[in-house]
Amino acid sequence: MSENKFIGAPVSRIEGALKVMGKAPYAAEFPVKNISYGFPVQSTIAAGEITAIDTSEAEKQPGVIRIITHENALKLPAGPPVTNANRMTRANPVLQNNKVLFFGQYIGLVVAETYEQARYAARLVKVTYKAEKPRINFDAFAAEAYKPEVINAGYPTDTSWGNVADALKQADVVLNETYDTPIEHHHPMEPHTSIVLFEGDQLTIYEATQMLEQTRQGVANTFNIPKENIKVLSPYIGGGFGSKLQPREHLLLTVMAAKMLNRPVKTVITRQMMQTNVGLRQHNRQKIRMGADRSGKLLALAHETVTHTAMNEEFVEQTGVISRMMYAVPNSLVTHRVFHTHIQVPRWTRAPGETPGSFALESAIDEMAFALKMDPVAFRIKNEPEKNPENGKPWASRSLIQCLQTGAEKFGWNKRKMEPRSHQQGRWLIGYGMSSASRGAPYREASARIKVSNKNKAVTAVVEMAATDIGTGSYTIIAQAAAEKLGLPLENIKVQIGDSSLPPTPGSGGSWGAGSYASAVAVVCEQLKAELRSKVNAQFIKGPSVADLMIAGNIKEYESTGTAKPSAGMANYAHFSFAAHFAEVWVDESLGIVKIPRFLTTVAAGTILNEKTARSQIMGGVVWGIGQAMTEESLLDDRYGNFVTRTLADYHVPVNLDVGKIDVHFLAEEDRIINQLGAKGVGELGITSVAAAIANAVFNATGKRIRQLPITPDKLL
Amino acid sequence: MKPFKYSRATSVSTAARQVSANSQAKFLAGGTNIIDLMKEFVERPDELVDVTRLNLSNISTLAAGGISIGATAKNAATANHPLIRQHYPLLSQAILAGASAQIRNMATNGGNLNQRTRCAYFYDIAMPCNKRQPDSGCSALEGVNRMHAIVGWSNQCVAVHPSDMCVALAALDAVVKVQGPDGTARTIPITDYHRLPEDTPHLDNNLRSGELITSIEIPANNFAAHSYYLKVRDRSSYAFALVSVAAAMELNGGTIKQARIAMGGIAHKPWRLTAAESFLAGKTATADNFKLASEQALQEAKPLAHNAFKIELGRRSIVRALQMALGNII
Repeated sequence: MSENKFIGAPVSRIEGALKVMGKAPYAAEFPVKNISYGFPVQSTIAAGEITAIDTSEAEKQPGVIRIITHENALKLPAGPPVTNANRMTRANPVLQNNKVLFFGQYIGLVVAETYEQARYAARLVKVTYKAEKPRINFDAFAAEAYKPEVINAGYPTDTSWGNVADALKQADVVLNETYDTPIEHHHPMEPHTSIVLFEGDQLTIYEATQMLEQTRQGVANTFNIPKENIKVLSPYIGGGFGSKLQPREHLLLTVMAAKMLNRPVKTVITRQMMQTNVGLRQHNRQKIRMGADRSGKLLALAHETVTHTAMNEEFVEQTGVISRMMYAVPNSLVTHRVFHTHIQVPRWTRAPGETPGSFALESAIDEMAFALKMDPVAFRIKNEPEKNPENGKPWASRSLIQCLQTGAEKFGWNKRKMEPRSHQQGRWLIGYGMSSASRGAPYREASARIKVSNKNKAVTAVVEMAATDIGTGSYTIIAQAAAEKLGLPLENIKVQIGDSSLPPTPGSGGSWGAGSYASAVAVVCEQLKAELRSKVNAQFIKGPSVADLMIAGNIKEYESTGTAKPSAGMANYAHFSFAAHFAEVWVDESLGIVKIPRFLTTVAAGTILNEKTARSQIMGGVVWGIGQAMTEESLLDDRYGNFVTRTLADYHVPVNLDVGKIDVHFLAEEDRIINQLGAKGVGELGITSVAAAIANAVFNATGKRIRQLPITPDKLL
Repeated sequence: MKPFKYSRATSVSTAARQVSANSQAKFLAGGTNIIDLMKEFVERPDELVDVTRLNLSNISTLAAGGISIGATAKNAATANHPLIRQHYPLLSQAILAGASAQIRNMATNGGNLNQRTRCAYFYDIAMPCNKRQPDSGCSALEGVNRMHAIVGWSNQCVAVHPSDMCVALAALDAVVKVQGPDGTARTIPITDYHRLPEDTPHLDNNLRSGELITSIEIPANNFAAHSYYLKVRDRSSYAFALVSVAAAMELNGGTIKQARIAMGGIAHKPWRLTAAESFLAGKTATADNFKLASEQALQEAKPLAHNAFKIELGRRSIVRALQMALGNII
């Protein structure tokens, strides 16, 4: 795609200046007349019933307008059973009963004239409970795990082919290990926020959301409001990572309050509520059994996951799916089991499935390579599958071997010694580790409206779509695609997104955002150009640009709306992005300290739409992967069901000092199947398998194999 | 947070009188801890007396030798002060090992001494906590206690003091100068300033009602050439210590004239290792002797369910800190 002028170019974010000047309004920052402030009241038990709520002292406080609890809440119709299809959009009635299902559950909303008044009064609400002993401890309840009908994103719960048990008996080398990844939280910088404003029967919502349409539908279904009457605005979003995919309960509480009070209400949740109320990545316990022959051919792979969900909703991360497609495995078993706990319902968390799954699989592959005395890069290449082993579909594009080879060369992998503890410098043990990474590359239907105008022969364009930019660069890649396809300078393109009344898109999630947005823009640009061409009755020496047509036809304004859809043939292929990670770690063994001075990632994800924002995406993924490997863990007290890691001082996301040099290389890859532009996603690929590369490097440095993340100092003593 | 009255003190004595006259009043300096605690409803003062404009931020040498560090001097200014860096690099290192640059720019030295534990149960008002609410119980004793004390704790409280700065101050035999509401000034050795929890975990220190820290004094010493603050933590910055060690030695050739060792992250107060210090006095400064000294340390340790690793990690950290202090950067 080297003929592109704009697509792929490392263009800086077009909204960057607004953001650094504080002029890009985030959800909490829209001035609304007569606003009031909501602050949630949270349960202080994890299981049981509310027997009484005494709001009398709270109500007496200055500025308090209303305290809404299940006793006086708007009555809402019961929601339908939750399915994968309706999880984001179904009616989700809040405050309809006295049941408590997890610690920190919203059990009320205080509305007051100021934020401080609301927060203070919320503290004064006295709640009496009939508490039950909560189900929290993983080990205590894991034995109850059952087979769910389906897991997240509609993946089958179990798959198998061949016969793993027989193959393991015949294997020369067998591995049987269990890997634990803890509960993690998303913690985007911007807290979840809602401003809700009714004007007659019209509802305007300012919300930090990745998904405008789903937010609108969820509110419509919960409150029985026609969705046409609801407008969701989310022009700038300070990170989401999956925690802002669905309309969350703070929004539903805020809508309820605005409706009951007939007054605009704003609710901004606290960092502590981001631990308890907006989802989490669940603790996954993964048992891997693997067999190989002496030559290094994999004979069998079983990947069996046990995890937890909430009492009232089944959500099961697709943890094992990476083991279905990564390697040529003649005998395979991948299963998922789940049990219920009084922990809030888990939710999509950057690369759900692949992030924990790749830690187990790519650690086990490293263990097997070591047992076989094979180089782990060579071992992976030897087991490269020609087609997707799960269903025999050909790869639309798969350049993993190129990622591995290029990465190994750029990293200097040949300097690695296979034997652990063989590279020491002073007190530091130095190790190299690597992993293969993959993430599904979904592509979805999206629409756009493009308006071109011609003012004194200066042709400019506005692109409108109900898309979101969660800090990823959507504004910029949309502008690049439009500039490319319209043949206009980048600065002549204006991008309007973050408004649900614009043409619909699938939103930002699942790594489909960039490819879906940019392909829609490309398709509609071409449609617009063809329409203009048919309107302009003129001869051109060479193919006319949009500007040529507008000027030649003396057309002042023109607009076209259209939709890009997955091709009929897309489903005949397997669609994944690939990467390879290489890590260098230095371990101060006596104190258990690990440094990661160098990390290198090679990526093959089809057409890269903007090398700069894509690089930032991959780097961000690697940084979270470092967090997953080294520092991040949400801890629960089994007795109470509360999180004891309640702040960013307790929940350790990596700091600058934890992150060394990160090198990202994009490999040229052409994918003619995925979409019009050949673009696969990079939003989640970057985090996948990072933790395994680091843990593998720690093994190479120290000879210690850590199978329970994170690798804190005490685990290395 | 609870509504409160705010006033700006004009003199130490009026500030002390104001706070002593109202049991619900608190001093406010940098606010990096108390404001968080107020937001969380852990602290609920109805009056804050701002002491940041009392001209207590001076850092200067004392006529009799040593240094005086003003109570409201910022942590960052203290750590970066030429006198501190030259004569008390241990203190400088310890301060810079704590918190974040932004917090150190706001936080004061007096506030650093008076900051409260970061025990998660203390912060969560839904949880029992004897420190927050006497006689409600200690949630950490049988809860998640990986970050908690291994020495000096009681069944009432297993919290640790979070400061890095105070660990260095303990090693350097600092004294805390305070002034009470009646104008009386007194000095408290830093090692007597903070308390063990015993049966009164709600009391962090031995200040009397209304007493305000005015300065911290450190005597002159010969440790500057051989001191080191080592902090082992779950991430490289902005994390509380799993264990930390402030180590300082005065050497005479290869012989240790005297040594000072204090630890953080293991007790309700900075923990001086006097047995290890005595062991080292007169010994040659060798790795073997450091190892033997570390074995003298923490013999009284009683780990909780999740923090037994702190004993071994602590001993190794003592050895490492002494090696680093010696200049044996390995």
